[in-house]
Amino acid sequence: MNEESILLFIKIVFAVLVVYWVSIAVSLIYRKIRRARLKKIETTFADIVSRYLYNDPKDPLTFDEIKKRLVKVGIRQRNKNNIQFLIRLMIRTQRTILGRNFSKLQKLYTEIPPYGVSIKKISSWSWYKKARGIREIYEMNQSQYFDEIFKYRDDKNIYVRREAQIALVVFLGWESLRFLPYLKQNMTLWQQIKIVEKLYDHYPKPELKWLHKAYETEKLFGKKLLMRIIRKYELHAEIGYIIDNLNHEDYEVRETAIYCLQTFAVASSTMEYIKQLYDDIPNTTQQGQLLNYIYENSDIDLDFYLKQLYGDNEELKLSIAEILWNNGYKEKVQEFYYQQYPKATLNVG
Amino acid sequence: MWDSGEGFFGSYYIYWISVLLFIGYGASLITLYLAGIILARRSIKRTKQRSIFLRTEDVVSATDIPSVTIIAPAYNEGLTIIENVKSLLSIQYPYYELILVNDGSKDDSLKKLIKEFDLERQDATFITQPIPTASVKYIYRSRQTKYTHLTVIDKNNGGKADAINAGVNFANTELVIFTDVDCIIEQDAILKMVRPYLEEDDKEIIGCGGGIGIANNSIIKDGILSELRLPSRLIPMHQVVEYIRAFLLGRMAWSEINGLMLISGAFGMYPRKRVIEVGGFNPKTVGEDLELCIRLRMHMEEKKIPYKVVYLPETLCWTEAPSDYNILIRQRDRWARGLWETISLHKKLFLNPKYGKMGLLYYPYWLIFEFGAPVVEFLGIICMIAFGIFGWIDWPFAILLFFAAYLVGCVFSTIAIFMYVKSFDHYTKPKQVVELLLAAYLEPFLYHPFLLFGQIKGYYKKLFDITSGWGNMTRKGFKVVKK
Repeated sequence: MNEESILLFIKIVFAVLVVYWVSIAVSLIYRKIRRARLKKIETTFADIVSRYLYNDPKDPLTFDEIKKRLVKVGIRQRNKNNIQFLIRLMIRTQRTILGRNFSKLQKLYTEIPPYGVSIKKISSWSWYKKARGIREIYEMNQSQYFDEIFKYRDDKNIYVRREAQIALVVFLGWESLRFLPYLKQNMTLWQQIKIVEKLYDHYPKPELKWLHKAYETEKLFGKKLLMRIIRKYELHAEIGYIIDNLNHEDYEVRETAIYCLQTFAVASSTMEYIKQLYDDIPNTTQQGQLLNYIYENSDIDLDFYLKQLYGDNEELKLSIAEILWNNGYKEKVQEFYYQQYPKATLNVG
Repeated sequence: MWDSGEGFFGSYYIYWISVLLFIGYGASLITLYLAGIILARRSIKRTKQRSIFLRTEDVVSATDIPSVTIIAPAYNEGLTIIENVKSLLSIQYPYYELILVNDGSKDDSLKKLIKEFDLERQDATFITQPIPTASVKYIYRSRQTKYTHLTVIDKNNGGKADAINAGVNFANTELVIFTDVDCIIEQDAILKMVRPYLEEDDKEIIGCGGGIGIANNSIIKDGILSELRLPSRLIPMHQVVEYIRAFLLGRMAWSEINGLMLISGAFGMYPRKRVIEVGGFNPKTVGEDLELCIRLRMHMEEKKIPYKVVYLPETLCWTEAPSDYNILIRQRDRWARGLWETISLHKKLFLNPKYGKMGLLYYPYWLIFEFGAPVVEFLGIICMIAFGIFGWIDWPFAILLFFAAYLVGCVFSTIAIFMYVKSFDHYTKPKQVVELLLAAYLEPFLYHPFLLFGQIKGYYKKLFDITSGWGNMTRKGFKVVKK
């Protein structure tokens, strides 16, 4: 290492620094120009939609005119980013419009560019483009491409298969339960929640025959998904499915069952059955959660609580003592306490 | 040049061995930073791509997203406590609770809270304490329905870690967020933080951190950051650059290879179950955030459960940075002591294959480059002075080498600023970017020496067993604009 080599190194590092200065400047300028461009596209599109939906018979807006205006603000085949932005605008607009105007808007979308952009993305090798294409198709309600999407429901890539599953829900509704609980790949909590939300948004009226058929699934995520659906739709008649899973061997299935059960109040006979299941739950935290549910949804059953207080589960005794203490059974708690520590002076209350 | 000292304790060899060691250390560090840039870039790109399919709007109306408890410890925060609590209560998340732990404050914090939020005292007899803490005196809850998600725990003083542990004991949600009471949290922060937990598949998420930004001189309105400004003073300005570099490059890179060992105590989310399993924060260290994260990772490694510690690049929490040298030095002194304590507490990790990559790679990195950097730097200064006195230094060459190292540092800071400006909308004006760059280039002269001093001071205290606690961290407070 000599001075010359250090000088050369300094020159190289300085050149890198200059490159980054230029990059920062370009980035700032680009962002400013881009913002202005997007703003223009947005304003133009908003104007087109409002004029099209409420067309003035004296000065009607034609499709040719619309196309010309879009080209003028940069919606051209080669400007992929602008087209992508327009698609986002189209989806956003469609979400906010209902009824007759919704049909009119769909007619508008079929007549103006971009044409077939989303379906082309599906054949891309990139997971990102593929998933995006599927998302656009179901968001734009292009059910004609359903067969293309269907095959990706169990894709290796998590984002591709998730979007395909949501498409299934959007296009098939409750019938999608023919497939969803039986998929090979696991389904995360996020996806379960998203499926439930989409189903509820698009198909608020339950179709129980598909739900009943889906009960046959042995997939753990399938069971969790079905319980979440029961909870979301508040299907009181289906609560038995949730209760049956309270003592499931899998921790997460039990967790979902306890969580979903909390939405419902049950008859006293059912509550008795739940109390019987209570002892079969192998996890103390979950027993604690179920105990809260039992306490909040039924009258004080002294025998049940005393059985727990004198039982083996040390971790829950404080909670049980609190329930008894606050519900008029102070003497029972004191009795238990004296039994534990016969020489101690009780210092509570 | 060698004539004067040659043969003196083998000075020629001492000089060259020292030079080679320092250059080797510096070169390794640069290589690691370069690798960090590549990993961070990849991580940011992937996070951006994924975020299109993980939009919080898709689940915001869902009723089965997990409940979260925010735990904020407070000690003598009477001056700003009401504004701070209101800010924490304004977060947008359908199912969250705020537990404020009054850690034996000697001021009027509790009195103010009782008055402002119409708090009602409740019995604390039946609180379960899976993590032992200083005794809890009372629990307070509001009589007003708009504050039903606020709980104040009044306990005897036990320190920050102890206060958080009391909050963990009382919380009954699956996830807990730890934050400082004076932090301004972004409105959608919890929704974003919850996402990785909803997303977990084959690996359990045991910790999630979010970006932390400096908001000195910024405007706070109704508990929300309404206008982000760059600090007017140089010291916090340097920290803006430091945080951008550390969070965007450092943590994103480590997150990409699941090597994150630290989730900042200012804002981090954990599963309550796991925090209880490891016994909560360790009140015996002042680096409790780093220590907890390492202990959680060790716990999972020992139980052989696949896990992940994740980091979100977006700035989700804004804090006030020290604005004068004394406070800065105190802060870094404390951080250095916390690092020392954590590193020595978990020394069994060093090159221990039982802990996988954490033992073989991540812990040695922390030991050599995070813990070791101030020591190496300090030794470097001593060597430079000693070699200079002996006349062994070729000054023109040394100056060139120093300039080269300085430029390399500038490049890293510039890249971090570039990536930040490109990815986020916080600093978009050319003037702001120029100010950030200038602060980055002045940092080695006006800021770094004080950091080094603070760190060495902390190590000195640990080396000679000088007792020192958290130290006062006086804050000026944000500019608050009321309705």
